[in-house]
Amino acid sequence: MVLVRAIIRPEKVGIVLSELLAAGFPAVTKMDVYGRGKQKGVKVGEVYYDEIPKEMLLMVVEDKDKDDVIRIIMKYARTGEEGRFGDGRIFVSPVEEAYTISSRKKGL
Amino acid sequence: MKEVMAIIRQNKVNVTKAALAKAGIPSFTCRRVLGRGKKLIDLNMFLAITDSEEASSTQLGEHLTESYRLIPKRIFTTIVEDDQVELVVNTIMDVNSTGNPGDGKIFVLPILENYRIRDGQATTEVY
Repeated sequence: MVLVRAIIRPEKVGIVLSELLAAGFPAVTKMDVYGRGKQKGVKVGEVYYDEIPKEMLLMVVEDKDKDDVIRIIMKYARTGEEGRFGDGRIFVSPVEEAYTISSRKKGL
Repeated sequence: MKEVMAIIRQNKVNVTKAALAKAGIPSFTCRRVLGRGKKLIDLNMFLAITDSEEASSTQLGEHLTESYRLIPKRIFTTIVEDDQVELVVNTIMDVNSTGNPGDGKIFVLPILENYRIRDGQATTEVY
């Protein structure tokens, strides 16, 4: 299992979530975050804005589904065909165990 | 070291906090999140209900779209030693399980390094 953490633009959350659902990945957690990237934020005139609002999506998926999930997020979170700075990042980390609280079962 | 990440109901934070403190795990971080689970909709069941005219298709349509809204939850993370993982997972499951879907999930992730900001010390111990 892997944890996929995607930091994306808030306005792209709707389409990404509905495409993930359509592809059979309903389970997802979303949180509001603020951050900056490699471009040090956004410069407007003389001012740097370095706490840019983003949304973080957390998904724990089986290893075999990882590439599908990443492909879907990558496709729909992009601005235009080419993509722009600030479209976000996806991080993948290992998950050793998962439990469902209601049934006390191990696994996803 | 392991990170135990539990997505739980909003109204269970206080009991979880108390239960973990009692079990000797005082430190934790909690965040307000939104999410949805993997409860899938069985379309055939809904078709059967509309055919038998128990509910109108508008009602069902509303229900279908409602059920995929994101539900407010709390994400509860705590970093513990390897041998405490089982204790923490069981404690969280004991106080959070109501037996209904939506009780949440628990994930266990590895943590490689741990630094204390106060004195800049790298430790392999949690506390």
